[in-house]
This record gives sequence, C-alpha cells and structure tokens, in this order.
Amino acid sequence: MIFNKLPFRAHSSIINRTSSSRTCIKPTFIRHVSSDIASTTPNTSTSTSELLELELDDSEFTSSTTPTAEMIQSYDPVGQSAARKKQLPSSRYRFRAPRYYRGPLHPHQPPHPSNPTARNYIPGPFSSPRLLQTYDSTLSHDLMILYYQHTPFNTPRPPIKERLRSWDDSSPYHKNRPLRAPRGTVKLGLLDKKITFRNIPQLSAITVSIVIPEASSDSRFLHTAGMMVQAITTQRATIYKARRTVSAGNRSQFSQRRGKPISVGTTMTGEQMWHFLSTFVGVVLPRIKDWQGVLARSGDVNGNYTIGVHRDVVELWPEIAVNYDA
Amino acid sequence: MTSSLRTLRRELSLSSSLFDRHICFNCLQVLSRPQQARNASTATVSAESVAPSSTNTPHRTAPSTATVSNPYHIKAGIVLSRPPLITRDLTSFEKAFFFYQRRLNERLALSFPRYFYYPEGTPGDTEWKRKMRERNTPAKDIGDYNAHKKDSWNDEILVGSKDSDPEQHVENLLQDAVIEIEEQIEGQDEVVKRRIEVERPQPRVTEADQTGDVTSLTRSLQRTIYLIVQDKDGIWRFPETDLEERENLKRAAERLLVQAGGINMNTWIVGNTPVGFHTLKYEESSSKPGEELLGEKTFFMKGRIMAGRFVLKNSPMALKAFKWLAKEELEQELDPLYFKSIRHMLVAQ
Repeated sequence: MIFNKLPFRAHSSIINRTSSSRTCIKPTFIRHVSSDIASTTPNTSTSTSELLELELDDSEFTSSTTPTAEMIQSYDPVGQSAARKKQLPSSRYRFRAPRYYRGPLHPHQPPHPSNPTARNYIPGPFSSPRLLQTYDSTLSHDLMILYYQHTPFNTPRPPIKERLRSWDDSSPYHKNRPLRAPRGTVKLGLLDKKITFRNIPQLSAITVSIVIPEASSDSRFLHTAGMMVQAITTQRATIYKARRTVSAGNRSQFSQRRGKPISVGTTMTGEQMWHFLSTFVGVVLPRIKDWQGVLARSGDVNGNYTIGVHRDVVELWPEIAVNYDA
Repeated sequence: MTSSLRTLRRELSLSSSLFDRHICFNCLQVLSRPQQARNASTATVSAESVAPSSTNTPHRTAPSTATVSNPYHIKAGIVLSRPPLITRDLTSFEKAFFFYQRRLNERLALSFPRYFYYPEGTPGDTEWKRKMRERNTPAKDIGDYNAHKKDSWNDEILVGSKDSDPEQHVENLLQDAVIEIEEQIEGQDEVVKRRIEVERPQPRVTEADQTGDVTSLTRSLQRTIYLIVQDKDGIWRFPETDLEERENLKRAAERLLVQAGGINMNTWIVGNTPVGFHTLKYEESSSKPGEELLGEKTFFMKGRIMAGRFVLKNSPMALKAFKWLAKEELEQELDPLYFKSIRHMLVAQ
C-alpha cells in the first residue's frame, strides 16, 4: 500500500480526508469478543449515547451486527491459511519497524511504542490493580478534602519568603557572593504547592534495592540478589557501583571500594508498582513475627518514604517462598 | 483560621472600605464578621441567628422569632459513605484489551524456565507435568494457547469464549491449586490417590444484593454507598441537624451521627471542611424588613463508616427509615433539586 511509504503524519491525514478509504477499512465481518458491547447494552442509555458520540467513525464497538452461527462455524483462520496454495506476499503480513529513528522528515517512521510492531513495544497493562482502584474511588477524594485550604476569592498570594539569605552589603567583599543557606537547618525544603483536584498526591514509583557488601569480593552474592529482586518485582535488576571508597577499619563488612558493585535494585511504576505494594502490605508484612509496624518518622516531608526489611523478611515474599517449599 | 486569612482580615480592617475590593459576597461576609475563636471550617452561627430547636424539620415557612444578620439559617449535614470493598467488574472492552495484551506478552516473553524451578525427578516436577497436561501453557489466564508454535499468530479470541473472563481465571486458579497425593495405607499394598482442594473465594454478590435489602452495609460491594434517612414528613435526604450554640460543623456532624444512628458505629469525619451545601428557600419569608430569613443552607461534612451498624432504634431525631444507596439509586430516591445540589459530592464508582 502506498500509504506505508509516507511519513506517519501525512499518512493519517490522507486517511482522514478521503472518505472512500474509510469505508474500505470498515470491517465487513464482526467476530471479536469485545463486539458484544454493542449487542448487550441498550442503545437508549445515556452512557451508550456518550460512547457513540466519542466514536469518530463506525467501529466494531458501535456496530450492532453480531455474527451468525454459520459465520462462527465457518471461521477457521488456521485452516484458511493452510489451504492457501501460494504464500501471501510478505508485505501483507510482515512489517518491520525501522531500527533507527532518522528524524521527523524521513519517510520510514518508527511506530509508536504502544504499537505491537514497534521495536520498543512492551506489552501491558494486563489488569486493573486493586489498590489503584481504591485510590481512584476512595483515597484521592479524601486526600483532596484533607488538603483543602480555603482562601477567599481574589486573595492576593502571600509573597514567598526569602529562601536563601542575601548578604547585607556591609562589606565590599559581599559583592557577587553566593546567597547563604537558611538559618538553622542545613537543607532547603521544597516549596509548598497548593493541592487542588489536579495535583492530588499519588504514588508514582517504588524502588527496591538490596545492598550487598560482600559483592565486591564474590559476584555470586550479586547474582542471587539480582534474581531475588527480579522474582519479587518482575523486572530486571540494575547493578549499582560504589561511588566512593570507604575503609571501615576492622569492620570489614562496611568497607567498600570505588567502582566495585555494591547493590542491585530496580524501580517500578504503573501497574507492577501497585501489585508489588499490595503483595508487600497484604502478604509480607502480616507474615512478619512480632512486627512493630513501620516507622512514622521515616522518609522526608517531601513525599518520599523508605522502609527497610531484614533479609529474613525477603523469604516471606510468595515468589521467593515457593522455592523454599519445593 | 489560617494565618493568611487572619492577615488579610487585619489588612482589610485597616483599609477604608471593604467594598472597593473585588471579593465575593460570601467571603466578604466572613471577613467583615467580628473575629471569634473559630476554625475555617466552622460555619458557626452567632447566637441570635440560631433558630429555635423545635424547627429541625424543613419548614417552608420561616420561623418568626429569628432575628438574624445572615438571611439563611445554617444547618450541618453528613454524607456518610461506605467505600467499595471489592474491585469492580471489568467492562467488556477492558476484558478484551487485557486478554489481548496477555497473549501478546506470552508471545514476546521468554518461555518459563522449568528446569530452573523444578529439577528433573522432584515431586514439584511431577506436579508441574500433571498441570501442563491439563492446561497447555504456564499462564493461567490466557486460555488454551501455546505461544511458541508455528501457528501462534492465531491468537485472537473467538466469539463465545470465556477465556477473557476473570471468573474463568478464578476457576482456573482453583483447578490449579488442587494437589494430588498418592498415599500407601499401612498393611495394604494398594496406593490411594487423594485430591486436596482449596476453599472457594467468597461470592462477589452478597445475600443483601439478592434479597434487595437496602438497609444492609454488605450490599453493592463494588460501589460506594451513601446513607440517606427519611424524616417524619416522609422526605428522603442526608441526615442533617441544626447547629447548637458555638458548635462547628464537624462537631455537629459527629453529634448528629450519634443522635441519628446510635453509638454502635465506627465513623470518621474526613477533614474539617464541608464538601458541599444545599440551599432551601422558604416560600414565605419573615416580614420584618432587614431581618428576614430567606431560607436555610445545609453544609455537608464527609464521613466514612468503618465498622458497626446504623440503627434507628431509640433515635431522638424521629427518623422513619434509612437506606444505603449508590449514586444512581440516590437519583431515583431524592428530590431532583436536592440531588442537583449534592450530586458532585458523590463518587461515580
């Protein structure tokens, strides 16, 4: 098809403009499981009419035709392809995404990462996580109310206080000096942002890492820890190297050498993050004997929270425990 | 009161006139009122604005005794809700989409390293082989599909197939959790096979759903359900009460819950601010010029019920009945004007 040779943007605009091509794209034979949306929901309900408005074209979800029993019986894609005498031209079934991105003007553009033919395609999501549903239906609404601060309309915004102290210019040497740190505390905290319905606090990422001091001498520790991280997070672990050399004298378990591997870890976002959290909170923490709870003073005030667990606790993860049971 | 509000009030009191600033009417009233020890949330009414306690029903005529600066009589209401207890049912599109992604993943991911997890000849290996004979693939939620064959491109789900249904996945997991044990009884030669099955999960539809019991808290587990009560005039609405003297909205909401539904509830009032309000205009306002009462405003606090039950017995509020309803059911039950002013406080799910 000639459209494939055009850049993506040109291709889509042509498809949108020519109405004849739209009709030939329209499927003639509806057989997807998802097509039962149209047949089961009554057309009179408001939700369906809203859906219909959202749909730009006729699609399989709006069409009301359902396949007949004969159509279902006669549908046999494997048999059909086996009965074909000549092989289809490769352009009919094979599309290879370009290996490199050669700029926006190149005729061969890589597909979007969500496209299964893209080279960097990662499948998912596979489910609607339970904790995310709780956040959406319950937690976010409560958080918004708890963070609400009433300011009368047209209230002038209070000026931001001086964060870094300036010099009083009592000496000619004060000129061009960098500003001073705040009095008392060493760290400069983040500025407060007003919480509205647009920026309700939400969990964005979870990082799991294991520090292995022994890894600098024996790499087997590193592989084991990497497998553990991979098992509980379903993601490949990254090896982190020590940034500086620390000599701890007699306590050799705390010594590290710059550039040597010191820990493994990975960062989860999205669906996997929610599943990990629900396993951790719902399965692992309740299994800990004489558990004292998590530390309320842990983490900083800027929305980061840190929990450390003993190495015995890692064995309580179902993915790890199954190996001990077998 | 926040410090910024206090600063603003001081600033405004110093300025010559309040009215040359662009401030909305409500906020102006708040700012121009004499300062009391009061939180931002407390819509406390000054002593003269509190209506007599006998008029706790929505009267259409204004109480004649009231002499007020505020033309509206202020009330506190509570939107008590029980959040969803289980995950919602997936839409058919979500089912189809997730299934499509799972089969794609099966095609793209590395195959399951059986020899790593189950060394040859171990009991685990035997069990694994038995399970693989039953379902041709390691995954339990992609149906009968092998991703590593020549015709694996044929991964579309067919009409009428249950493979994308979560209920089917639960069945598959139950089937998979069955353990078969071969036992030899002492003194006998024969080997007895024993199947150990796991307990089935609780149903997602409860008895209260089936019997249509709207007073039960175990109904509609997938939805947020809200408490509405019927007063002695037969009007359905959220519980509401008059404010007692020097009482803020949160205190009033807490008192209201105890008076209306008893003490056998573990509740939590979310935050100190109301989440919405409803204005009821009186048909006849009191005659005194400048002191007339136009209607009443009910400010709703948000509450969550964690445990316990709402019971009407021995309630001093003379309520007739109560219901726990989801958003659409509320629309059927409540007065359209009332629902219009409260609908944005309610969660869709």
